[in-house]
Amino acid sequence: MTARRREPDRAGRWRSRLRAHRGLIVAAAVLAALMILNDLMSPGPMSYFEVSFLSSGAATLAIAAAGQTLVVLSGGFDLSAGAVVSLVNVVLATVLPEGAASVPLAIAIGMGIGALSGAFNGFFVAVLRLQPIVVTLATMFILQGLTLFVMDKPGGSVPGALSEALTADAIPGVLPMPLVLIAAVILLWAWLKNTRLGIAIYATGSDHEAARAQGVRTGWVRFAVYLIAGATYGFAGVFISALTGAGDPLVGNPMLLQIFAAVVVGGTVLGGGRGGVTGSILGAYVLMIVVNILLVLNVSAYYSTVAEGAILILAALAGAFGRNARLRRSLRAGIRRLSAWRAGTLPGQGGRTVAPLTLPGPARGLPPLRLPPWHRRHAETIRHALPAYVCFVIVVVVTEFAIGQSAFSWGYVNSLLVLSSFLLILALGQGTVILTGGLDLSVPWVIGLCGILLTGMVNGQDAPLIHALPLVLGAGALAGLVNGIGVALLGLSPIVMTLAMNGILQGLALLYSQGTPAGYSAPLMRWFMTGKLAGVTPVVFLVILFVALSMALLSRTPFGRRVYGIGNGERVAMLSGINVNATLIGVYMLSGFCAALAGCLLTGFSGQASLGMGDEYLLPSIAVVVVGGTLITGGRGSYAGMVGGVLLLTALQTLLAGTTLPYAMRTILFGLVVLGAVVALRERNQ
Amino acid sequence: MTSLRRLALAASLAGLGAVTAAGLAAPAAAQDKYKIFLSMSYIGNDWQAEAANMIKAMAQHRTMRDRVDLQVQVAGPNAQRQIQQINAMVQAGADAIVVFPISPTALNSVVRNACRKGVLVFAYDAEITEECAYNISIDQEEAGRVTAEWLVEKLGGKGNIVMVTGVPGTSVDTLRTRAAKEVFARHPGINIIAEAVGMWSQAVARTELSKILATRSWDDIDGLWMQVGCYTANAMQLEAGRSMDQLLPCAGEGSNGGRIQMLPRDTEVEGGECPYCPMNAPRISYASPPYSGALALKLAVAKLDGKDVPDPIVLPLPVVTNETVKYCKTGSWQEMAEGCNAFPPALVPNPGWFASIFSEQTPEVGFAAALVGQPEP
Repeated sequence: MTARRREPDRAGRWRSRLRAHRGLIVAAAVLAALMILNDLMSPGPMSYFEVSFLSSGAATLAIAAAGQTLVVLSGGFDLSAGAVVSLVNVVLATVLPEGAASVPLAIAIGMGIGALSGAFNGFFVAVLRLQPIVVTLATMFILQGLTLFVMDKPGGSVPGALSEALTADAIPGVLPMPLVLIAAVILLWAWLKNTRLGIAIYATGSDHEAARAQGVRTGWVRFAVYLIAGATYGFAGVFISALTGAGDPLVGNPMLLQIFAAVVVGGTVLGGGRGGVTGSILGAYVLMIVVNILLVLNVSAYYSTVAEGAILILAALAGAFGRNARLRRSLRAGIRRLSAWRAGTLPGQGGRTVAPLTLPGPARGLPPLRLPPWHRRHAETIRHALPAYVCFVIVVVVTEFAIGQSAFSWGYVNSLLVLSSFLLILALGQGTVILTGGLDLSVPWVIGLCGILLTGMVNGQDAPLIHALPLVLGAGALAGLVNGIGVALLGLSPIVMTLAMNGILQGLALLYSQGTPAGYSAPLMRWFMTGKLAGVTPVVFLVILFVALSMALLSRTPFGRRVYGIGNGERVAMLSGINVNATLIGVYMLSGFCAALAGCLLTGFSGQASLGMGDEYLLPSIAVVVVGGTLITGGRGSYAGMVGGVLLLTALQTLLAGTTLPYAMRTILFGLVVLGAVVALRERNQ
Repeated sequence: MTSLRRLALAASLAGLGAVTAAGLAAPAAAQDKYKIFLSMSYIGNDWQAEAANMIKAMAQHRTMRDRVDLQVQVAGPNAQRQIQQINAMVQAGADAIVVFPISPTALNSVVRNACRKGVLVFAYDAEITEECAYNISIDQEEAGRVTAEWLVEKLGGKGNIVMVTGVPGTSVDTLRTRAAKEVFARHPGINIIAEAVGMWSQAVARTELSKILATRSWDDIDGLWMQVGCYTANAMQLEAGRSMDQLLPCAGEGSNGGRIQMLPRDTEVEGGECPYCPMNAPRISYASPPYSGALALKLAVAKLDGKDVPDPIVLPLPVVTNETVKYCKTGSWQEMAEGCNAFPPALVPNPGWFASIFSEQTPEVGFAAALVGQPEP
């Protein structure tokens, strides 16, 4: 810092400060607008009572989102948040004694459990350098299992003193306690942000390597982040226990997607380095007040998920109008392209004329190129794909010994391939999206809507398949096209865009089916999924063909190379002449198409469509991609690895389904095996 | 937050009074009607959609439509959103709230609060443990016990069975499964060889049974106890090449597809093709009846009228066996009152549609109500 540095003028400083806090300001503005709308629409002015309710209703989400924000800022991802909330809730409802002493005890127990699970995550992420998403996914399963061991159905009770202390008034009639807690979280954050740890979190999230080079101990930073985040989820668990006064093993799990939505609406960027806790807290309140808005506007039930999706997109769009926002950039690029096209020049050419280069002729006299052997050329791919296959073989061997009739029976192999077919198809779409650094959360209702459309159109006949099948697959691709436009051209975060899309598609499915999907699958489709052709279910042939084509698509085509290019660095890819936007749109369309295809096959498998038939496939579709060695931040991975991931997960589920172990035990085993499979994927120390 | 609130108040006072007045005028006009809210959980499955249809039909019935102003809201699977929603309903001036509770315990304090403000809370299908709420549901333990006893008897007290349960961690699933297992434990000849989580979905039941059958064959299994999925299990047995005479006894499930399969094979049925066809499948059929929500609405209105309403209301378990299954030709109220309980596939294209829609207590809602939300005349 030299004295000669030019001081920016006041206005400039304000501008830059505004820019830095864009996300936060937008979230605050959206919240204010929604609150005004709510107040205008509901009878009477907003009372203290109402404020107190609003403040306590969203507090659990806000606190949990605050913890998640830290992880996201450091460049991580934590799927175990909701599971920690549930575990703390059931433990408190089981063990807490009556009396005033219960308050500090509850907070200690809750934050302790959270910190323990955070340390578990932190150990695997920071010390073993495993991918956060798969570590926390495994933790989520393990915690869910533990939760069901503690309490297998809702019950128990939390002392009234805890509710009194956390959810009642701090100053009667003036200030509700939840607001005090939220303010405390914001103050803590303001303090943390300016400590060495706070700065190190931003540095690690912005550029891990650069932070390391500057001497930041990134390993410790990550460990600390998961630890603190875990404790924060624990506190959210304490709060929801106080709010509900009882235990429910499922209370936290559905919060997970909302936590991420709150973080993103609050202006924190997935991938790390930008954003803050305050924004996420505002984001949480935005998401919860939507419930009130839908009520005062009397939005019909079928439209409610559509309206929610629209609000999510609008809130995120409001943050996307900065000077360097993607939307502006795409517009500028479009205008430049258009004027260049008119002038008959290239967009990058400007006014200059380009002299054609003289290329040297083909080199002569060089010795023929000697390729290294196959296993050396593909060493990286093999290293990342192999663990899944090794674990798959182990699971099959265990199945053979535990139940018998497996590896050597064609029936087992055939069933395994049929059951894998859905995930193999979904893995191509989800995997390609992940390779570009995105995520597709709209998979469940693309499956659901397309399945419902198909059975509705064919209605048990074979003939309409000729037009219905292409139409439905086209509808899936269309949903992907909209996702792609949102992500590539409007610059929306993939999580927000596809989550909103999922809600919109759910609304469409409900409207189309009026709540009860009609019609059956065509007999041909049913035969395809459940019949036999020379002892083989016909879909197995499709699966083999699909796997071969997918491998070729990702490793042998220009499209595949563009996908990897974008995943390794969008800017670099753009400067190397890749049309990033077109490729991204293509990737999301591929994912939509794959989900639609999986939906069609599922209707053939089940004989009819049902609402929510895709819900079971979202997390597995992500899990198989990551277990197969793909990097969640994009750029690294192979379809061969994903196939290994699918086989491992399906074989494991088959093994567990053949036993009579309690469900809680199975979930824990499932989490442990997933974790074990990826321990071999640890990053090398550089 | 407080500054935002001040901002909101200032905005509403400054020049926007007209809009506020309009907002106030609307509820005033509807004051002679009872303002009743429905808070559903997740709308994306067959049972929920059907129950919602019946509630809406109840509100549309000629005895109700001039007296009830029903607003339907969906909370999704998240209990906290339902808490927020119920609060918002209380704020919006609800006289009564009919709720499908996502959690029997998590809603306690918000429900207590609603009661304190004089709002009636009626829970259907699942229960709310808070005392001031009215609960309308079947006895889940009885459901598990009766069906398990039927299966044991059918198997003569010995055999290998497969269990397919519901959503783990819910009271309904835990109570049913536990009661059934207690019955099986009393019969040492009964051997549970596999247990899968069926999530109350035909599609999941199919996947889970396929996983079990990857390592076993139908010949290893003597009977099935499923909360949902007997229809699918029969379809799978036929696909595997077993004949209709070899179908395994299956306890559970109240879907229309399952009921049609229970009919004697020579029954004339309009529409539908196998496996949605009569096959004399050995079965005991039960399910939570989807009319419970409509009944909750009716009772809420009765209570608002000042009548006494019993609490809790335990609905009779709608059990149908091969001896009591009876085909409905049209599904008219009269026909149902005479005991028919399986509906024509031509009129019910979705075999997963729940067939236990008849209750003497709810003559306002019949077949058309459950199917498309039309009340009885």
